[in-house]
Amino acid sequence: MKTPLFGAFGAPGPKHMLGAMQSIDGRMRKYGNQGEVDFCIVGVGSAGGVLLQRLARAGFSVVGLEAGPLWDTERDWVSDEAGSHKLYWNDLRITGGEHPLTLGANNSGKGVGGGSVHWAAFVPRLHPSDFRVYSEDGVGADWPICYEDLKPYYELLEREIPVSGPAYFPWGDPHGYPYGPHPMGGCGDILINGCTKLGIRVCIGGPVAILAGSHGKRPHCIYRGYCIQGCKVGAKQSTLISHVPNALEHGAEIRDSCMVSRINLARNGSSKSGTVTGVTYFDSQGHEAEQKAKAVIVCGYAIETPRLLLNSACPGFENGLANSSGTLGKYLMAQAGNVVLGRFPELIRMYKAPPAHAMTEEFYETDTKRGFARGFGIQTVGPLPIAFARQMTIAKGAWGWGMRRVMMDYNHWGAIALLGEILPWPDNRLELAAEKDKYGIPVTKVTFNLHDNDKKMIEYGKNKVMEVMSAAGAEEVVQEQRYAHLVGAARMGSDPRTSVVDGFGRTHDIPNLFVCDGSVMPTQGSANPGLTIQALAARTADYLIAQSQFGLKKGAHSSETPRIRYDLSPPDTWGKGVPHLK
Amino acid sequence: MKAHDKFGIVRSTIADIPVDAEHAAHEITVHIREGRFQRSLALIAGFTGGMSGLEVAYEHYKGSYSNAIMYTPVILSQALLIAGVSGAVSRRAARTILPTVSAITLVDCAIGFGFHIRGIQRKPGGWRLPVFNIIMGPPLFAPLLFGMSAYLGLIASFLRRESASRFARPGRVPLPTVSRLLPAKVQRDEIIELQEVREGRFQKHLALSTAFATFFSGFEALYSHYKNNFKYKIQWSPIIVAGLLIGASLGAIWKPKVAKRLLPTASALAIANGTIGFCYHARGITRRPGGTKRLLYNIIYGPPILAPLLFAGCGFLGLLASMFRRER
Amino acid sequence: MKAKDVKPGKVIRVLDASTRPIDPATGKPLEPRAQPGYYPGYDVLSQQAFWDAATRKVVLDRVRKIPPIRFFTPDETDLFRAVCDRIIPQNDRDSDHQIVIVNFIDERLHENRLDGYRFENMPPDQKAYQLGLRAITEIAQHLYAKSFLGLTTLEQEFVLKTVHDGNPPAGHDIWKRMPVHRFWHLLVQDIVGIYYAHPYAWNEIGFGGPAYPRGYMRLENGDPEPWEVEEKRYEWEAPLGSPSADYGAIAGMSEHPGAPGQRGTH
Repeated sequence: MKTPLFGAFGAPGPKHMLGAMQSIDGRMRKYGNQGEVDFCIVGVGSAGGVLLQRLARAGFSVVGLEAGPLWDTERDWVSDEAGSHKLYWNDLRITGGEHPLTLGANNSGKGVGGGSVHWAAFVPRLHPSDFRVYSEDGVGADWPICYEDLKPYYELLEREIPVSGPAYFPWGDPHGYPYGPHPMGGCGDILINGCTKLGIRVCIGGPVAILAGSHGKRPHCIYRGYCIQGCKVGAKQSTLISHVPNALEHGAEIRDSCMVSRINLARNGSSKSGTVTGVTYFDSQGHEAEQKAKAVIVCGYAIETPRLLLNSACPGFENGLANSSGTLGKYLMAQAGNVVLGRFPELIRMYKAPPAHAMTEEFYETDTKRGFARGFGIQTVGPLPIAFARQMTIAKGAWGWGMRRVMMDYNHWGAIALLGEILPWPDNRLELAAEKDKYGIPVTKVTFNLHDNDKKMIEYGKNKVMEVMSAAGAEEVVQEQRYAHLVGAARMGSDPRTSVVDGFGRTHDIPNLFVCDGSVMPTQGSANPGLTIQALAARTADYLIAQSQFGLKKGAHSSETPRIRYDLSPPDTWGKGVPHLK
Repeated sequence: MKAHDKFGIVRSTIADIPVDAEHAAHEITVHIREGRFQRSLALIAGFTGGMSGLEVAYEHYKGSYSNAIMYTPVILSQALLIAGVSGAVSRRAARTILPTVSAITLVDCAIGFGFHIRGIQRKPGGWRLPVFNIIMGPPLFAPLLFGMSAYLGLIASFLRRESASRFARPGRVPLPTVSRLLPAKVQRDEIIELQEVREGRFQKHLALSTAFATFFSGFEALYSHYKNNFKYKIQWSPIIVAGLLIGASLGAIWKPKVAKRLLPTASALAIANGTIGFCYHARGITRRPGGTKRLLYNIIYGPPILAPLLFAGCGFLGLLASMFRRER
Repeated sequence: MKAKDVKPGKVIRVLDASTRPIDPATGKPLEPRAQPGYYPGYDVLSQQAFWDAATRKVVLDRVRKIPPIRFFTPDETDLFRAVCDRIIPQNDRDSDHQIVIVNFIDERLHENRLDGYRFENMPPDQKAYQLGLRAITEIAQHLYAKSFLGLTTLEQEFVLKTVHDGNPPAGHDIWKRMPVHRFWHLLVQDIVGIYYAHPYAWNEIGFGGPAYPRGYMRLENGDPEPWEVEEKRYEWEAPLGSPSADYGAIAGMSEHPGAPGQRGTH
């Protein structure tokens, strides 16, 4: 066939599409910014999308302010690497320290759905040990909650997403997934071959937030490999396609292309206490506006959340809102994400199939014999040509004819990657720089240093991944050091002197100001944070709904764990899926 | 060297086989020819149903049972297995449970076919990308292939038992209740047809069914092997054999000679091909990454282990057709 | 570009035989091709009817609409074009199938399209390019007493190799304002990002290209899709003595992990 039947695929129709089949009719409830709404959510990403849906469904008036656009996936997204640049948070940030992080494409999204639009969608849970790293290993920090607090939310979100993966996942708290595993691509076969030769257990076909089977108006994955360019198919979950449509149906408003510049506060006399009254933002036309709300939930992710709180400093809160502990902006974490590339005599064609489809967590937990605390995972990746060429500039120092030559062999290369736990350190931090962005908000300066434990972990992990690559039959193995993900910097804890928020995301200092996103994580494990962020959001939503009867502006009436609300899931969540271990 | 026995059955001379065995083979032929093989066919229907049920189970697992209706063929296939076995044991079950379960299964297969057509439409590009979406979407004809087992079950329910006397007049078949709603003339035709089935006179009918089943199975082989880029030349063989068997089956409808000569040959080829295919698929599974250490995953996501056996089943159907008497 | 079209001092791409890759069997330069690489006859663009409209527009615009130069001065443009021709040499491509690079980087700098970060010891990207190009000129002067454009391709490669290796012999005041390896990275990452975004480059490396609504079906064993072609390898060597043919670590990078520019891969 030279063309599809009836000729080339034409321009999209008039509907606002979210994926290949799902559309939203464009009508959205508008609250206007005169009155006061119940909740104002800053940032409609992984956490913001889930919160918005839950709170709207529970009947509250909710406005989500999002710095980026409300995507129409048919018009705005492309099946092209270079053309997907706009999905990332590309505004200026300054990065430094001994081992500076790269930002933007590497770890932050802009637009409704946030980072979940361009994640590769690996969704492992944290292990029970992740919640008590300090007690067990004497490093990092303990969470104020334990695995069992989050477990029902993991299970719930795994159904809502829904997660495809094996019926039995052996690490951490063993469990199975509601959707079946995916078929393998070239990199998955490499990981399985290598691990099997070395006797390492490996998990095939997931867990990923990519559909192996249809789900409502979302079709089965078409194995095209453009996961991190935004899934036009709608098979890979982003909160944009899984939760936002349901939120809009239940009366939530999303004001897109609105950049929040500060959170406004009403101070109680001259004391160091107060309540927030709403937020000031720049709308899509660049005009400054204010939205009043009974409670504000900041869901801006590990850099924008602390930046907003720091920039909202006011009399009585000179170091920024919710920063009486001085820990705001500190304990920022990224995971080590060394990419190991191997050249094989046979063809691989790693651009096919989702980059995320096989993994092992065999080295996740602390093993004292290795000489460092905590561990790492190994996962498949599938860099497309530009990413691969850029990796080759570092991994092989390639340029000129050498670059042309190695790229001509692109189809012979496979890639797998380390995902290692870097511990939280106070000197890994962000602060406001002198330089300002186009709104006049100070840009962020990020400082990052690797510590001894991190370096040992990376060295050991990198060698292990290279060993797996060699065992799989690669004739040449090279690697490139990089980081993946970004969490921490507004961490949760039970002690207000050493943390920013409590176990439900409520700031210790201000009763009606909440933080809910990756920045609340005190440690990160070696699991991709996406699922944990969404599970935390669902839990915070249940807490907010349960507490609302005592008044949204008041402080905690109780710190009891709220009842989990199974009735607030989006449609199509229940009544299907494969048999699996609970 | 051929011989005609007193019933006019063509018998090849199988001199090397002991007389008992030859006699037994002859007995079976006569039973089939006269429609006295309800027990065997009920068993066959049950087991092929159970087997395709296994294939449905893991194929639908690959689709994550994303719609609860995807469980129905799995459940019905096991019901068919039970009904088939009961039909073999009890005459009563063969007249009641077997046709009921078979009929429900047939309806389910028709619904499933509709869902599979819709499933292809729902893939990005839908039917405008027929090649890609038939290959990557729900297997188009698989529900109909599964329906063949139910169809056999239904046929079995109308046959006579092996123990029935060959000289007694075949009793009349009570018409299914739904048929009573039809006009008298249609009812009469139906009675004649069923009576012919009961007497083993439905060669043309079964030949046509063989052609359909082979088409469904051969089509699946074609696109699955195309998906695999016809990496091995032998992957063409089921497609060629399927063509041959479809030709022979259709030819058998026109000419008794084709039914007697070509159809059994083509059928035997299909059975042999399916058996060899089964071995290749088994080997393919063990050669996948992780091999036997990841057996379950590799069975589900490797070459479909049961598909060649279902293809062999089509050959078996053809063989059966070749042994029947023709309709009056 | 034919030699007679080239204005004095504007020598950009002379397809001189000595600058072309060599066939090791005969020792002679390979003829320039419309499509180098091991996938002869493969044409991603022939599949555009199977792409969605938004993607088709983005990819075709990249081929057909070359943005004008707005950021670089004419001199900088010529110099930068010569640098690009060494970082991604295209002497094996015929003149109709060379991929334009400079204009797209110029567009990025003109529109101030950032990658979301700047290293604390780096100037803004625009300034970094201006400084870097000045430093390259100084190195050329220092090594050969000529302008970069006046050098042979091999000499140009040696100039750039000093930057790659992290030991440029000149431009020290500039390197005080930005680390050599950071500049090298900015440069190569931008250039390879433009080259390998182009459908001609996809044909060269056998990449499947856009895949929506039609995805892929042959996921394993490197099997080609029905519209892709099998690999047909041929031997070639870089022009004699070319330093970019060898691979080598970039100075400063091993001690400085956290390399810039990788799109998230997990």
